[in-house]
Amino acid sequence: MTPSLLRPLLVRAASLLLVLVTVLVLLVVSLGATGFSERMLGAVIGEELRALRISLAETITDPDALEVALAARRAELEAAHGLDRAWYQRLPGMVLRVMTLDLGDARTMRTFDGSNRVADIVLERLPNTALLLTSALLITAAIGLSLGVWLSTRVGSTIDRVVSYAAAISYALPAWWTGIMLILLLSFQLQLLPSGGMHSSPPPEGGLARFLDLALHALLPILTLVLVSVGPYVYVVRTITLGVAQEDHVMLARAKGMPGHVVERRHVLRVAAAPILTGLILGLAGSLGGSILVETVFDWRGMGRLYYEAIVGTPDEGLIIGLTFMFTLLYVSARMILEVLYVLLDPRVRYGDAAPLRS
Amino acid sequence: MPRHSVLRQLLDSVPGRLGMAALVLLTLSSVYVIATYPSDFGTARWSNPAVWADNPRSVPPAWTNLLGEERRPVHQVVTSPEPASIEPLGPAQLRTFEMPFRFDADEPPSLLSFTLLEVAYSVRPPQYALVLHRPDGTSVALAREAVGGPRPSEDSPFVRYRETPQRLLLSGSARLSEALPALYEESYGVSVDQEVLRARPLQALFGAPSVSGGVEPLRGEYLLEARFTVADEGDRISSMRVVVGGAVFGVFGTDALGRDLAEGLLFGLPIALLIGVLASTLSTAVGTTFGLVSGFVGGRTDLVIQRVADVIANVPVLPLLIFLVFLLGSQLWLILLILVAFSWPGLTILVRSMVLPLRTSPEVEAARTLGASTSHIIWRHVFPHTAPYVFAQLIFFAPGAILAEAGLSFLGLGDPSLPTWGQILEHGFRTGAVFLGYWWWVVPPGLLIVLTALTFMLLALGMETVVNPRLRQP
Repeated sequence: MTPSLLRPLLVRAASLLLVLVTVLVLLVVSLGATGFSERMLGAVIGEELRALRISLAETITDPDALEVALAARRAELEAAHGLDRAWYQRLPGMVLRVMTLDLGDARTMRTFDGSNRVADIVLERLPNTALLLTSALLITAAIGLSLGVWLSTRVGSTIDRVVSYAAAISYALPAWWTGIMLILLLSFQLQLLPSGGMHSSPPPEGGLARFLDLALHALLPILTLVLVSVGPYVYVVRTITLGVAQEDHVMLARAKGMPGHVVERRHVLRVAAAPILTGLILGLAGSLGGSILVETVFDWRGMGRLYYEAIVGTPDEGLIIGLTFMFTLLYVSARMILEVLYVLLDPRVRYGDAAPLRS
Repeated sequence: MPRHSVLRQLLDSVPGRLGMAALVLLTLSSVYVIATYPSDFGTARWSNPAVWADNPRSVPPAWTNLLGEERRPVHQVVTSPEPASIEPLGPAQLRTFEMPFRFDADEPPSLLSFTLLEVAYSVRPPQYALVLHRPDGTSVALAREAVGGPRPSEDSPFVRYRETPQRLLLSGSARLSEALPALYEESYGVSVDQEVLRARPLQALFGAPSVSGGVEPLRGEYLLEARFTVADEGDRISSMRVVVGGAVFGVFGTDALGRDLAEGLLFGLPIALLIGVLASTLSTAVGTTFGLVSGFVGGRTDLVIQRVADVIANVPVLPLLIFLVFLLGSQLWLILLILVAFSWPGLTILVRSMVLPLRTSPEVEAARTLGASTSHIIWRHVFPHTAPYVFAQLIFFAPGAILAEAGLSFLGLGDPSLPTWGQILEHGFRTGAVFLGYWWWVVPPGLLIVLTALTFMLLALGMETVVNPRLRQP
């Protein structure tokens, strides 16, 4: 890579870093300014004091002394949770900490082994989500790419029209409802697959048997995800490829008498690859964020469910900040990889123009 | 391209025609709902258990009787506003109300209840007796009651049951379990298994002794008679009804609270359309405006808009919706606003890329030379070229918004004052309808979501030749 390409890449890296910081600042402001953070900590302290009052009442009989003891404990707790400071003094520290890749501890969430470190929780959940979302994406992409490119040469044919309708239906299907329908059909009516959860109870012994059991439970959610995403994927690949195939340089190549498959490979697919790759890599990064709805329907302990629980279940700002940082970092890294790939893939990309090339 | 020709091309394609037909149908149904439903339907009716007290819980639609071998009883409500006969008894009167209904199912009704609406009397409270006449000529006395008496400080006329109607659950009454053994012994000369009488009194009430010694359904015309003795002929008995609880209900069945799912599903339609149309119109307007400005003005403005669009375009909408709705509260307008705020960037990037070459087109140069203002040029000489794309995107946004709101509702974060399809599904999923096999509760709401979203998808599909003229068939 020549130095003339290196400088613009560095500029992009800096602006992506700015994105990361902006997202975290916006997050902290919305947590703090809406009073969410205060309410949440207040609830935690109130809970602890209630338990303390009951245990203290056994030893301290004088009601005034009890109140004094409780008030002292409250002040102590408020200081420990940082509630004695305003949110704009308390939360930035948290952001600076996650920026150094220290994700901190969760308040109530635990791993299976009992660890409350956010990093441990994430490491426990991430493989689950990858098994579901990433495999579904890879299957979708494999079908979508091959079928989409093939269809782009048969636009207007019967099969093209059929696929267009199928794509429209596939896009209109809510993933979670499709999951429910598949549960009703495949697991209750036909009794082929388990209806939810990640393992049979009791789970089978032995590493391989255990993994096969997990894979069996993953089949239905993966099928759901592929069903709802493969239609639009095929359609988008078809349309992008078609768009490139209609460009002037392809016309010229054909006019020169170049063989069809060479034109296809060298002039169509190479150009169409950039937006398709963008979608694929951003999709891969996004897939690690999990799917809240599908994980809910199939009772799957993945990242999406974790995020949902951190917000709605037992609100935990440390977890929310840690997870958001991680997701954003994933996105930013994926974008950076793309910036490098654009240069390698498409010789037309030069950084004179301010706008990045994207689909 | 002029707008009417866009419409004609849309209608020329098969998906365009299908989509248009579906859209007209959905719109007409929505208009019907808006015209006939009360504006506070969600809070006053849907979420009010008293409204649904007489309905059977979690029962399938009535048409399922056509599919299976077994005939389950249909839910019937018979109202009697006028007495069938009035007999003078000196100054008093005997008014007889008749409520006929037909029973021809294989299993007994799920409940039998009698509801008395407003009663007004001047001196003595009216008394009434309920008698059920059965198809074979036998009859059973089900209840003997008096309307509530006057309170010490009250003046005549005394009005009762105006706010809360008087409801008698006949199927569970003590009088019924006394009357049934007598009925079987006197009319048929047999004694019936005490277990059946105690555990399933309605089976005995709507049955007769069978040859084998058990109880079999007694099908035919039943008549519930209410005999009111009123002390004064000026006393008023407004209306009453009997509910014969079914094991099947209506066109769409009921949920676990006895709510008529047909009503809730129909109400969800205008809301889904509203979300789709409003969200797509607003995000199209925002997206187009930013795209035009970004592409035409250029420079620093362009840079800032594109950077912001670039980031927002890649934010996953659902986690963000959950986060913001949880922080700020579940209100429909807020959900809409967030959807709009995060769905415009795609269009902005597209419109900008179309505006860039137009900036130096002869048409724009000419207008500029003639002294036209920038806003005039953008509106009259740039926007029309992007219009078909913008129109296609307008349609394409709608299903996304509908699905996003449905997903949010499914997570229990929907606007509680407005029942939507997602919320009906959420309630079903949360209370185990999926695992109990209550398909009528979980299949139709999802199908409606799919159909509504598909309507817009078909329209978008029909727009393909408008957006990409090279695809047009010769």
